[in-house]
Amino acid sequence: MKKTLSLVAISSLLSLTVVSIPTAARAADPVCQTAAGVTQCAGVTSDGAKYLMLVPANYKGTAMLYSHGYRYPVDLPAAIPIVGGYTVADAAEPVPGGSAAIYGPLLAQGVAVFGSGFARQGWNVDSALKTNVELIGIFNKRFPTTTKVVAWGNSLGGFITQALAEKYPNLISAAVPMCTAAGSIEAGLQMAGDFLWVFKTFFDPTIKGGNYSAGAAGYGEAMADLGKIFTAMGALQAAVSTGAWPSTSKVPDAIKAIPSRSALLLAGLIAGVPTQSPHFDGTTGPEGPLKTSFPLAVSPALAVLENGTNAAVLAILVTYDLELQSGGQVFDNSTTDYAERVAVSSYVYNAALSGVASINGLLSYLNPANPAAPRAKASAAAVAKMRALVSHTGKINVPTITFTGVADPVTPPGNSQWIADRYAEQYAAEWAAAKAGKRTTGAYQKPKNMLLTLWNPTPANYTTFTAAGAPITSTPSAQGTNHCNFTPAQYLALAKMALYASENGVHMSGGPLYTLLRKSGSMTYDPKFRAPLLKYYSPN
Amino acid sequence: MIGKNRRKRSWIAAAVLAAGSLVFTSLPAAHAEVGVTSTQIKLGTTLPLTGSASPGYNKLGDAMKAYFNYVNDNGGVYGRKITLVIKNDEYLPNLAVAKTNELILKDKVFALVGALGTANHQAVANAVGLGRRGIPDLFINTGFSGFANPKQYPTTFTVLPSYAMEAKIMAQFIKENYAGKKLGLIYQDDEFGSDALKGFAQAGIKFDVTVPYASGSQSQTTAPTWISKLSAGGAEVVVMFGVTSASGLALATAGALKYTPKWILGSVGGDATTLRALGVPPAVLTGQIGLSPVPSPADTTDEYVKLFQEVNAKYNNNVAFDNNVLAGMNTAMLTVQALRAAGKNPTRKSLIAAMKTKGSTFVSSALVPLNYSATSNVGFNGYWFGQYDSTGVMKPLATGVVAYTTDSGTGPVVKSTFKRPAMPAKGLPTNS
Repeated sequence: MKKTLSLVAISSLLSLTVVSIPTAARAADPVCQTAAGVTQCAGVTSDGAKYLMLVPANYKGTAMLYSHGYRYPVDLPAAIPIVGGYTVADAAEPVPGGSAAIYGPLLAQGVAVFGSGFARQGWNVDSALKTNVELIGIFNKRFPTTTKVVAWGNSLGGFITQALAEKYPNLISAAVPMCTAAGSIEAGLQMAGDFLWVFKTFFDPTIKGGNYSAGAAGYGEAMADLGKIFTAMGALQAAVSTGAWPSTSKVPDAIKAIPSRSALLLAGLIAGVPTQSPHFDGTTGPEGPLKTSFPLAVSPALAVLENGTNAAVLAILVTYDLELQSGGQVFDNSTTDYAERVAVSSYVYNAALSGVASINGLLSYLNPANPAAPRAKASAAAVAKMRALVSHTGKINVPTITFTGVADPVTPPGNSQWIADRYAEQYAAEWAAAKAGKRTTGAYQKPKNMLLTLWNPTPANYTTFTAAGAPITSTPSAQGTNHCNFTPAQYLALAKMALYASENGVHMSGGPLYTLLRKSGSMTYDPKFRAPLLKYYSPN
Repeated sequence: MIGKNRRKRSWIAAAVLAAGSLVFTSLPAAHAEVGVTSTQIKLGTTLPLTGSASPGYNKLGDAMKAYFNYVNDNGGVYGRKITLVIKNDEYLPNLAVAKTNELILKDKVFALVGALGTANHQAVANAVGLGRRGIPDLFINTGFSGFANPKQYPTTFTVLPSYAMEAKIMAQFIKENYAGKKLGLIYQDDEFGSDALKGFAQAGIKFDVTVPYASGSQSQTTAPTWISKLSAGGAEVVVMFGVTSASGLALATAGALKYTPKWILGSVGGDATTLRALGVPPAVLTGQIGLSPVPSPADTTDEYVKLFQEVNAKYNNNVAFDNNVLAGMNTAMLTVQALRAAGKNPTRKSLIAAMKTKGSTFVSSALVPLNYSATSNVGFNGYWFGQYDSTGVMKPLATGVVAYTTDSGTGPVVKSTFKRPAMPAKGLPTNS
């Protein structure tokens, strides 16, 4: 599990080490060197973002601009488990993870890659957009044979990519928001905040979870919250079999009669945390008497434990970050109906939630009337400031490809579904307009499909067990799970599709598309698949 | 000319969209409808073939397949043979979703038939999006009243009466036969049981002792706690509203602990063959009350039962013929009629339309009517009561076979006037 929990940090921190980055650089004036047929240019934008460009000798005029994902905006003390010791990183990231397995084949095809580390970390869409716009200008100036730029990005970088495509469609010819956040930061904040609030209400009410104090005191509160989260999660993990509650919990004994794993699962379902995780599929049990009862009653809770730790850590740091940017408390659940949130999922996970009576008992504890479960009330001024940050309209201006794991715990597939839904509306309007135009022209042009929504599904079975029947959590994360858990082959397939769309103005389709998807592994195109939206958009 | 070309492109684009699942397999042969060729109609189902809920229900699939093979050997459906792909979902919602996806995207079935389980099917309906995909989802084995909402589940049709109906009819029986007795209830604490509670409440029945159990929690450890609670509460008549594995544990444990109330076994968990296989002593089961929409599987005077037993002998390895085998074959017979009613070149749309317009006319072994219509996706609406004899056969009460019907709402429980139509010759539907 340790491997999983550290994934966010790892994926954010991997830096390109294959090429050397010149140190002498200044705004809009990259320093370049050429070696082994690749020109490497490094520099710093006017806002201080370090960038890196890799351009092959056989450069054909198309470059790919990568936007990296969320990096924690503050250093994390070494004493904090798993994520402790992190220091804010601003290294340039021209391809996902700086992976040579990705930029190597692209350069070999004559495609250039470039990207920055952005000027600030945390939720940074506004500044990242400025950086990217400037960076495209720098690149085009330095490499004037450039004809097309394809934008792609992971997670927050996916959000930035979609925002770039919405606001500056003239600068790019295709966009690939991967494992993307979408819509507005409020949607993600709601998911993270709900999980955190329910978690602390059940398991440790001393977790502050938001409304952090100003200055160093607030930083200390947030770091203390991280430690408490790990402590409670550890206690829950240790008590999966017994159902015991963490010693930090203050719920009454009647609630403690319900297995703590059921309460944890309820927190996950309320927030929309996936019930499949890197090592828990909800379908497989160990041989013996737990063959069925484990996947039915235990596995979904363990999945939330595995997914939720990532989500909770991110929740604290994103909340802290947004409060710093907005000047006050931004999470608000003062009117949230948590029973509505599980109106459907409580049917499906009834057994793991320990039955209707238990579900009702747990929900009653979360009721706003319970003084032991005080709701969070946001600052109107802070919310207004947060809402002034860049958000999406969902408009598709250039050929766009989304790709998301169906059990991504940080940016669940509902984000991509939100984009798909907005585009469905856009497409219907465009088609209606085309048909209306037929009345005057006698002919009409059906709009081109500009959005290709791809999914990264989970295998049917992937939980494995030791000979003693204990689940194994040291294996690599299953496909479709974890955050941005993509292979180089999948990234390269997405690049190939994006380059095709960039060149032709339409998406790859038919046999070539299906063949590429099949060969890349765990990539599906199923127009009838529909991921659940984030709770912010669709409560149940 | 321009418009014509563009329409052609549109058609091609649509075809590409429809073939989205081809990431899993190669291109299928061109045909008007997925899962239908000139020689075959491919259907699919997910059932608990293994796991805690499998006892008894694991016989449904083979029973359906046996009847389909019987029909296939007699000309099929307008010349097409029916193939049934059976997947094991182990009564696990996530697995039911995965297996249903396989049926749709990989096996490319025309329709789903006879899937089982409330939680499983809730997960499937929502995650797979059967309605959105327009996939017929026929004769599902759950009485959860939520599936009766055609707007939410436009392609799903239940075969069982709703659990609320069953509870209301049980309540009527209790009032008529056990007035004044202390009442106990064991129920599965999910939508299955919640529906029942609504029905009992609607009928004005109050239980003195209630024992909820979470689905999957039934075990040798938990069952004694149920029985202790019922015994301590002095329950004289106990209603069992759970799956067969839970019923088996309850009865066997009660027998071992010498607790001897009158049991009324709900239709879902009342199959005598399975109960006895689970260790319920004949003496414990003898004299207890059960209810069913279909005849007793031991009633060889019933023409449907007789036919199904013959089919079972020839096409199903002559497995022990019980409620589950009977139910599976009954569902298969209904399916054949639905396929015939969908026309000689059936489509998913025509199959759903046939269910709505002609479903109520389909014949089956049931002693109560079907209720499919433009506004109802619910199958049977009633039960008859019987008493288990020493061999496990549910025999009619002294009053004979009296079926009761009702609705899921506030409607009364009434004695049915339904006259079951005669079985088609050789049990081979000829409807259109």
